Amino acid sequence: MYESEVTEMMKKRVPALMLASAIALSAAGCSGGNQPSSGSAAPSTSGTPSSTATAPDKDLVVAFNTDIQSMDPHNTTDTLSITVSRTMYESLVTFDENQKVVPLLAESYTAESDNLTYTFKLRQGVKFHDGTDFNADAVIANYERCLADTTLRQNSRVAKWESCTKVDDYTVAIKLKEPNSSFINQFTQFQIVSPKALEEGTDLNKAEAGTGQYTFKEHTEGDHVTVVPYADYWGTKATVDSLTFRAVPEDGSRVAMLQTGEADYIYPMPTVQADQVNGTDNITVGSVASNIMRYVTLNTNLPELSDKRVRQAMNYAIDKQAYAQVVFSGYCEEVLSCYPSTVSYYAPQTPYTYDLDKAKSLMEEAGYGDGFSLTLWGDNISAEQTGMQFIMQQLAQIGITVEVLPMEPSTLSDMIYVDEDQAEINMWYVNWSASSFDADGSMRSILHSDMVPPKSANTAYFRNSEFDSLLDQAIKTSDTDTLTDLYAQAQAIVWDEAPWLFLGNDELVYGAKTYVSGIVLNPDGSVNVTNATLA
Amino acid sequence: MSETKQPVNPTPSEFMDDPVLQNRSRTREFFKKFFQRKTAVVAGCFILFLVIIAIIGPSIAPYDPAAYDYSAIRSGPTAQHLMGTDEFGRDVFSRLLAGARLSLGSALAAVIVGAALGTILGILAGYYGGILEALVMRSSDVLFAMPDILLCIAIVAIIGPGLINVIIAVTVFTIPSFARIMRSATLSVKGSLYVEVARSLGCPDSRILIKHIFPGTVQSMIVNFTMRIGSAILAASSLSFLGFGADVSAPEWGAMLSSGRNYIGVADHLILFPGLIIFLTVLAFNLFGDGLRDTLDPKVK
Repeated sequence: MYESEVTEMMKKRVPALMLASAIALSAAGCSGGNQPSSGSAAPSTSGTPSSTATAPDKDLVVAFNTDIQSMDPHNTTDTLSITVSRTMYESLVTFDENQKVVPLLAESYTAESDNLTYTFKLRQGVKFHDGTDFNADAVIANYERCLADTTLRQNSRVAKWESCTKVDDYTVAIKLKEPNSSFINQFTQFQIVSPKALEEGTDLNKAEAGTGQYTFKEHTEGDHVTVVPYADYWGTKATVDSLTFRAVPEDGSRVAMLQTGEADYIYPMPTVQADQVNGTDNITVGSVASNIMRYVTLNTNLPELSDKRVRQAMNYAIDKQAYAQVVFSGYCEEVLSCYPSTVSYYAPQTPYTYDLDKAKSLMEEAGYGDGFSLTLWGDNISAEQTGMQFIMQQLAQIGITVEVLPMEPSTLSDMIYVDEDQAEINMWYVNWSASSFDADGSMRSILHSDMVPPKSANTAYFRNSEFDSLLDQAIKTSDTDTLTDLYAQAQAIVWDEAPWLFLGNDELVYGAKTYVSGIVLNPDGSVNVTNATLA
Repeated sequence: MSETKQPVNPTPSEFMDDPVLQNRSRTREFFKKFFQRKTAVVAGCFILFLVIIAIIGPSIAPYDPAAYDYSAIRSGPTAQHLMGTDEFGRDVFSRLLAGARLSLGSALAAVIVGAALGTILGILAGYYGGILEALVMRSSDVLFAMPDILLCIAIVAIIGPGLINVIIAVTVFTIPSFARIMRSATLSVKGSLYVEVARSLGCPDSRILIKHIFPGTVQSMIVNFTMRIGSAILAASSLSFLGFGADVSAPEWGAMLSSGRNYIGVADHLILFPGLIIFLTVLAFNLFGDGLRDTLDPKVK
C-alpha cells in the first residue's frame, strides 16, 4: 500500500501442475534435449526459420510468463503491464539504460532549490494516437484524473503533490507538499494518456490513446496483446510490422516456442534450461542484474533472534555461492548490502564470508552453542521451496533446526500481516524489488520501525531509531552527496545488525533469437521493446 | 497371511465339519490356486521386496538421504550414485529407499484405518439396516460422487498440509468403498443358515457379528484392501506432488517427483526413478489384488 513494491513482492504465481502434465512435459523435455542434433542437421533442409539467422517475418512476438493485468498506464501494477504500456504511452521523464533519469516527453526539466517545485519544458509537435495534441493541458488532465480516482495506483503518488499547474502551453510546474527525493524516480511511471480518451471515458484496455511508438491493435485476455507502429510518431519510428506480447505461463512451453521460432524473445528464460538452450536453434541467452533482493527475515522479537551475534552467526553459516548455484543455476549475484547494486546509493559492506567456525563461536558466545529450532515460511512455488530447503541445510550446520513451511501466498500473507502480539513468524524467505530503484523504496517499507506488520512488511520487527532518523532525513534531502552519506550509514547499520539473512540478487535471464536486437531487459523485469529490430 | 487361517468362505454345509482340518485344506487349496497366477505371484514378491526395503531401507542405503553435496548437483546416474543426484546433490537411490517407508507406510496406515472404519460401518449397516443403513450408504454415495483426488485435496485444504493429514484424507476416501462392499457381503451372509442357527440359540448380536458375520465377509475385504493400497499410494504421492503432503525435504516419492519436475529435460533421472517406483508399486498392488480376487472368488475357476 505504501509503495508499489508491496504488491510487487506478493505477485507470485502458483503453478497448479498435475502428474499428467509432468509426464507430458517429460516428453517435451526429451525432445528439447535432442534439439541440438536436429538443429545441426537443419541447414540441409533450408527454408525452415530456425535453420538461418534471419527473421522469417517482421512480426515480433515476445512471450512472458504472466498475463497482462491492466493496460491503463495509471493503474499498472506488474512489470509486464508496464512493459506493454511503455510501447504505447510515454512519460515526461524516463530511465536510460544506466537507470539515470532523462527527459522523454519533456525537453528538459529543472528542480527548484527548495526541493518542492519541478518545472518541465514539454516537447512540441507531439500528437496522441487519436489525433489530440500533446501539451500542458494534457498533463494537467492526467493529473486530475489520478487525483480524482483513488482506485488508481498512481493516486497515492499524485496525492503527494501540492499542485500541477500550467505555466504556458508547453511548460508545466509540479509542486510537492513536502520534499521527496524519490519524486523524480517515481515520476518516470507517470505516463500521459490522451485527454480526449480520458474525457470520453474510453476503455484504456482497448484504446489508442498514447503518444508512443506503437498504437493499440488487439487484446485477447489471457492470451496476447498486439500493438502496431504509430505512423506519426515524433521520435525514431518502429521498424517491425507488429509487436505481440503473449502470456505463456508454462516454462517448458515458452522455451519450446523460442526453439521453434513461434516466439522471438522470451522472458523469463528458466535458469535450469538456460545453459542447455544457449547457442542452439539460433538462440542466445542473456542476463542482467535485477533489483530483486533475496533475503530471509529474522524476527528480532524472538529471544534467540534478538541477539545480534546469533543473527550474524546465521549469516556466516550461509554459503552464498552455493545458494546461487543450487537455487538459480548460478544466475544470482552476491549482495553486500540490504539492497542490490542496481538501486541508487548502494554502499557495499564487508561480506559475511561463509565461515562455519566463526558462526559456531558466535553461537557459543551468545549462549546458543547447542542450537535451537525455528520455522521458515515462504511461498509454495518450487523455486522458493528449493531456496528454503537450502537455508534449512545450511543452518543445520550450526545447530539450528529449521522446519520449512511452504504456504499458499494468500494464506502466508494472512499469517504475516497480523498484530504484533499475535505474530507467529520466525523466519520468512522472501524477496523485495523497488520498482522505482530508489534507496528509500528499497528500505523503508521493510526495515523502518513504523512499517511493522500489519502496516507493512518489516517482518524482522527491526527497530533502530538511528536507522529510522537517517531514512527520515534522507527523504527530505536532495543533495546527492548528503544522500550518499545518509544512505551509506543506514545500510551499514542494517548490515551490522543483520535483521535478515542476506542471500543474493537474482539475475534476470532472457532468451532471444539471434536475429532480434534492440530489446532491453530492465533490472525490474520490465522489457523495453520500443527499439527492437528484426534482421 | 494370518487371515487365511480363518475359514475363507464358510457355507452352511461346512459349518458342522472339523474346523482344524477344514482350515488346513482350504489354505493349501488357496495357495495352490494362487501360485497358478504367475503375474500375481510376481507382484506379490515385488510387494514383499518393497516391504523389506521399507523396513531395512535406511540401513542399506549407500548415503544418508538428507546428505547434500553442492559440488555434485543434478548429476546423472554414475557408479557412485546409481540413480544420480538431485538438486541438492543428494543421492536419489538412497532417498527412494528411505522414501519406501514414508510412501508405503502412509498408504498402509490410511488403508488400514479406512478399512477398519469402513468394515465396521458396512457390517453394522448391513446387519441392522434401517436408518443406520440409509445414513451410512447415502453418505458413502455422496463421497463416491466426488473424484478421489479432488476429495483428498478438499480435505487437506480444510485441515492443512502434512503427512498425517494426507493419511486422514486418504482414509476418508477409503471408508466408503469398504462400507459398501462389506454391507453387501453382510447382507448375503446374514441370511445364511448358520447365522440363523446362532441367532436361534440366543447368541448376542456382538457375538454373531464378530464370530459369524465378519469371517464370512473377510475375503471381500482382503481383496479390496490390496486394491485400495495402490490407489492410496497414488493419492498420497499426488498430494505430496501438489505440495499438500509430506515435508518438502522428506524423501517421499511424490514429493521427489514434484521437485524433480523443475529439471525435466535437464536432469530427467530426477523424475524417471521416483515416477517408475510409484508406477511399479501401484501396478504390483493392483495385480496382486486381481490375483487374490480371482483365487478367492468361487465363481472363477
